[in-house]
Amino acid sequence: MKSFFLATVLALGALLTLNPAWAHKPSDSYLTLRATEGQSAVAVRWDIALRDLDYVLTLDRDGNGELTWGEVRQRDADITKLATSRLALTANGTACPLTPSGPLMLDTHSDGNYAVLSLKAQCPGEGALKAPLKLNYSMLFDVDPSHRGLVQWVAPGRDTASTAQALVFGTESAEQTLALQPADAWQTLKQYIFDGVWHIWIGYDHILFLLSLLLPAVLLRRAGRWEPAPTLKGSFIEVLKVVTAFTLAHSITLSLAALGVISLPSRLVESVIAASVVLAALNNLRGTIEGKRWVMAFVFGLIHGFGFASVLADLGLPQNALVVALVGFNVGVELGQLAIVAVFLPIAFALRRTWFYRVGVLTGGSILVAILASWWLAQRLFDL
Amino acid sequence: MYLKFSAPPHVLTCLAAAALAFTTLWPLTAAASPFTPKSDAEVVERLPGRASDPAVRRVESLRKQLAARPDDAALRIEVARRYFDMAMAQGDPRYVGYAASALAPLEKSAPNDPGYPMALGLIQQYSHNFDAALASLTKAAQLAPQSPEPLLWRTAIFMVQARYSDAAAECTRLAPLTDPLTATGCSAYVQAATGQLEAAYQTLTAAVKAAPQASAELLLWQNTRLAEMAWRLQRFDVAEGHFKAAQKLGVTDQFLLGAYADFLLDRQRPAEVITLLGDWERSDILLLRLALAGKAANDPRAAGWAAQLRDRFAASAQRGDLLHEQEAGRFELAIEGNPTKALARASHNYTVQKEPRDADILLRAALAARQSQPAQPALDWLQSSRYEDPAISAVAAQVRALNPSATGPAR
Repeated sequence: MKSFFLATVLALGALLTLNPAWAHKPSDSYLTLRATEGQSAVAVRWDIALRDLDYVLTLDRDGNGELTWGEVRQRDADITKLATSRLALTANGTACPLTPSGPLMLDTHSDGNYAVLSLKAQCPGEGALKAPLKLNYSMLFDVDPSHRGLVQWVAPGRDTASTAQALVFGTESAEQTLALQPADAWQTLKQYIFDGVWHIWIGYDHILFLLSLLLPAVLLRRAGRWEPAPTLKGSFIEVLKVVTAFTLAHSITLSLAALGVISLPSRLVESVIAASVVLAALNNLRGTIEGKRWVMAFVFGLIHGFGFASVLADLGLPQNALVVALVGFNVGVELGQLAIVAVFLPIAFALRRTWFYRVGVLTGGSILVAILASWWLAQRLFDL
Repeated sequence: MYLKFSAPPHVLTCLAAAALAFTTLWPLTAAASPFTPKSDAEVVERLPGRASDPAVRRVESLRKQLAARPDDAALRIEVARRYFDMAMAQGDPRYVGYAASALAPLEKSAPNDPGYPMALGLIQQYSHNFDAALASLTKAAQLAPQSPEPLLWRTAIFMVQARYSDAAAECTRLAPLTDPLTATGCSAYVQAATGQLEAAYQTLTAAVKAAPQASAELLLWQNTRLAEMAWRLQRFDVAEGHFKAAQKLGVTDQFLLGAYADFLLDRQRPAEVITLLGDWERSDILLLRLALAGKAANDPRAAGWAAQLRDRFAASAQRGDLLHEQEAGRFELAIEGNPTKALARASHNYTVQKEPRDADILLRAALAARQSQPAQPALDWLQSSRYEDPAISAVAAQVRALNPSATGPAR
């Protein structure tokens, strides 16, 4: 129906020469705001269409319709000034001033080339950003109310684009809150519990130490000979004492090491762990500390805790959820141990009267464990 | 009819939905690595029309005057109208934004200048805000009772909404205010949609013959309508003659190109579509036709066109625009082969726009998805309007056959 009125109103000529590859689209700018854990500055990358900047700032000085890099670059300061006056970040009500953090560059989008501004918003105070974090966007709204700011917000601890929050800023949604998402505590807890379980299961030295201490739990030593324990309850109490002592000990040192209170050289720690396995296995052959195995579990558990701590350090601890991570990892280690015990105890108790268990498993197994752990000890001591 | 082709500036209600889809879409539009040009002399952007087009220079000069005289309402309206007309001529939605911005300060003062509600109505219909647009155009018609323009636009909106008796009434009001060809074109357009296709075609043909002095733009519009009518009457050679006559008028019009491309696609002549639309990739609606033709002709560029189109639909969803839904439905159905998505988009589209082409894609998507229920509004429209088009009627019959309980004559 256009030409009904075009006939009388319009006198436009043929279509203008445009770059045929560029799509026709409404005006958008693309912003990425990235916060880093424990820092109060927010990194900003802002892509603004050169065409839009020209509309506001008249970058095309000579008016020939061709914008050169020189024409853009000479107006760098004006572009930055315009941009920083049209974007305002506040943390807990206080402004986070924007300053350039890199040279002006360009990038290509579907409807043309865009200026790429690298900025830094420095929020007041040291350490983490203070909520509520608010972004006010007003670029181009005065000259084009259909303009949109498409914002990609990467919250602290959310360092991948896949977890970024997407926000659309328009004339009627010019100010929005950026969620700080201090890494959902429940997610963190679950993750570290899983890590704890996984670590105890793949940590053969911890498992062998524990099993070595538990093997005799279904037996009693009388006059230098092993006899079957009379009740499951008695064996269970024995297992409980060992597991509890081990858990308590390694929880103490794990926490102290993770919090940076104590630290020990890792070669020493790993070597002593190997030695602890050798000793626990040999003790089953000689029965030296019969009845006090929980003491041994506690003493060496302290060292095993340092071993867990180095694993936790490798996983990385979230500074804003340190306690949650620590508790989660400990709980995970405990759950992993309990799973092992839950499989071990009924089988061992059922087999405790057999020659196979007493000689094959307890004696033979302990010898094998001692040999294996000695090899570990040698490896770790001499870095083989 | 270009109401439906327009890329509207904003639909805020869609922003939330867009934000949901946004995260996964981001990489499409945010290229990863910025660059620094090698030298200052390197041309990094070509600004549309500034060097070659006097209209662009004129509007920019007016804009500068406006900055000096911000209270000049008439100047404001003129700048808005010029930007809007540029948006129409070039299919560039940024100009609609500029027009809206020029007009915005007048909202409070609401001058008695009929140009204000007229320009406002145009911008409102562009964003498919039809009710507001109709109200603004009514206001414009009251302030300028002798002007045909608001009535023409009201007719256009009524046709998009399939409100044929309202459209016919508008044509009646229009007749004494305009030239005979425009008046006949208006009523023939309504007739052709309401069971009098043959009569409409004959009347309009005669009116065109009687007005050789009419402007190229008006003749282009009428020839495009005649082409569509002849096509529906299965007089394909005659239809093509009208398309060619419209092309010869020397006015570039993407809506003519779109209709002609659809005709050639229907006649299974995709290679000619690719020639016709050669360098029109920048227009979403013509890029769709290129992608369809490329696929049909096994053109090596077909995948590239489809990918471009995919990116553009994603980009518009990203900002919250859901207004190229008819094209999106055709894209999902014919290019992506996803009838379910196509049906969802065509259904949504039909709640806003109810032109024959909108009904057509809804019926086709419903048939492909084997669901007759969502197509019921289109079936109802076909029956009540008595619209004549063998292709649409054939699809409608197949959709009705999906569900034997549905009633109504198959055409």
